[in-house]
This record gives sequence, structure tokens and C-alpha cells, in this order.
Amino acid sequence: MRIVALVLAIICFIIAICYAVGVIGWFADPAHKHHISHFVLFVVLGVLALVWMRFAGERAAG
Amino acid sequence: MTFVQAMLLAVLQGVSELFPVSSLGHTILVPALLHWSVNRRDPTFLAFVVVLHLGTAIALVIFYRREWIALVRALVKSIAKGRLSDDRDERIAWLLVVGTIPVGILGVYLESPVRNLFGSAAYAAIFLMINALIMFAGEFFRRRQHEDRNRRYKRLEKMTWFQSVGVGLAQSLALLPGISRSGASIVAGLGVDLDHEDAARYSFLLATPVIGAAALLETPRLWTGGHVVPLQALVGGILAGIAAYVSVAFLTKYFERNDLRPFGWYCLIFGALCLGLALKGVIT
Repeated sequence: MRIVALVLAIICFIIAICYAVGVIGWFADPAHKHHISHFVLFVVLGVLALVWMRFAGERAAG
Repeated sequence: MTFVQAMLLAVLQGVSELFPVSSLGHTILVPALLHWSVNRRDPTFLAFVVVLHLGTAIALVIFYRREWIALVRALVKSIAKGRLSDDRDERIAWLLVVGTIPVGILGVYLESPVRNLFGSAAYAAIFLMINALIMFAGEFFRRRQHEDRNRRYKRLEKMTWFQSVGVGLAQSLALLPGISRSGASIVAGLGVDLDHEDAARYSFLLATPVIGAAALLETPRLWTGGHVVPLQALVGGILAGIAAYVSVAFLTKYFERNDLRPFGWYCLIFGALCLGLALKGVIT
């Protein structure tokens, strides 16, 4: 489970950076180049995936 | 928009954000009924709305300050420990996090297209009537389960993760103008066997990060072409906050003994009236 959470976190952070720099604009307002709300969303999801990793690790160790 | 109109809109926003009657629907229908020239896509208006949302979110945080302090403490403690315990605050804090994820994702992706698609008075009126039906249906099924079959209510912290996601998804219906965020999430809370008091408390707690985050994300509008009048924004934000605080204080007392049906009747009658006027071309 830890590895799944880690991979998920990395994917979320990569997507967040891509939205921020304007590499991707999936389902985002084409009027803007940098999609800040999408960036924030994926950063938050990435952080939550890291928290999940922490919980999963503790349970496995216990 | 004149100063008086802006202040009335601020009070309307503060009240209707928490009453289960849809703030988005009312900010479309009331200005249309009063023939105010409000352009909802105008950067000045959007910047003003950001301040109103900030005022509402701050009022909610102040009202539930003790609860929020306990919840954040429990959340930080559980992350530091790296495991979940049976602590009530910890459980509720994580239920709120889990419940916020669906509305966060759907809000970011769907808010703009839905607003563009259903931003007219006729749609807002139709969804307001659907909002009424959702509340009537919620009350009907709750009574059938609990009064006729004596099913017991469960405490907030006994909700499962899936049920929390379900309540969060229900809250996402509020992206449609006319569907109330608190109404949909209270009905979903009743659907997972919470009583009115706990369902309303969970709904208001769940609304706080969503309203706050949406307002914070939109804050750059205040500086990028918003041209918002500082005094108007400041007084409007404070008025919206006071209206929201009084509303949540009233509603938490109200839901100790009462249900959603009066709000349902209001939405049905007001929605039907507005739909009639929209079909006749009186409001657009």
C-alpha cells in the first residue's frame, strides 16, 4: 500500500507542476495559461497521498 | 451596482449560503427580480463575491472555533503518530477531509462550465424547485426509516468513510445554481442515519473549508482587474459575515427540534414564481 500511495503522490505533484507551468490544460479555462486552482488541487491531493502513505506504513509495521 | 444594492447582496449571500435555499440561485434570481444591472461575469462583481465568501467562511470558523481547534489538533496529532485512533475529534476531522475531496475535485473541474451552462434565471428557478423536492424526499425517507420503523440515529463520528464521501458528493450538487449546498448535504446526512442536529453540524463544518478555499483561490481577482471599491468590499464582507454568523446560530438551534420541510416549501413556491416570470420574459 505504501508504494501505491507514494506513486500516487508523485503523479499528483507532477500533474500539479504541469498545470502550474501551463504544460497541460485538461478541462481548464483556455483563457488562462497557468491554472492555479488545478495546481492547488493536485498539491493537496499529493499531500493527502503522502499522509495515506504514512498511515499505511505504520499499520504495516505494527 | 450601487452601495445599497451591494450591501443587500452581502446580507443575502451571508444568509442564503447557510440556509438550505441556495445562495447561488438567490444571487441570480433576486437581482433579476429587482431589475438590478448585475453582470455576473464582470471582474468587479466576481471580486466582490470573493470578499463575501471570505466573510462567510470567517464567520463559520469563528462560530465553530472551539470545534475547529480541537479538530485541527486531532488531525495534526494523528499525522504525527502516523495512525488513526478511536478519538472522536480525530475521526470527525478525517471524515471532513475525506468528504471535502469530491467537492474539491468536482468544484475545480465543473464550476465554470456548469455556471456558464445553467447561469440563467429559468435554470436557477427549476433547480430551486428540484432542491425543494430533494428536501421533501429526504424528510420522507427519514420519517419512514426512523419514526415508522424505529431505526436508531447514529452519532457523527460513527459515519463510515464511504458515507462521508457520499455526503461530500451530495454537497457537489450545489454547483448547480438553485441546489443548496447545506440542503443537499443535510439530506445526505439524514440518509446515512444522522439526526438533523448532527447532519446540519456536519454540513456547516464541511462547508467551511470549501467556501474558504474557493474564496482564497479567487482572491487574486481582487488585484487582477477586480477594481473592487475597498469600502464597499470591506463593509460587504463584514455584513456577509455577520449575516452568516446569525444564520448558523439560528440554524443550529432550529435543527435541534425542526426539519427541512419549511425550506422546501419556500424553495418550491419561490422557484415556481420565478420560473413563471422567467417563462413570461419578465426576468432573464
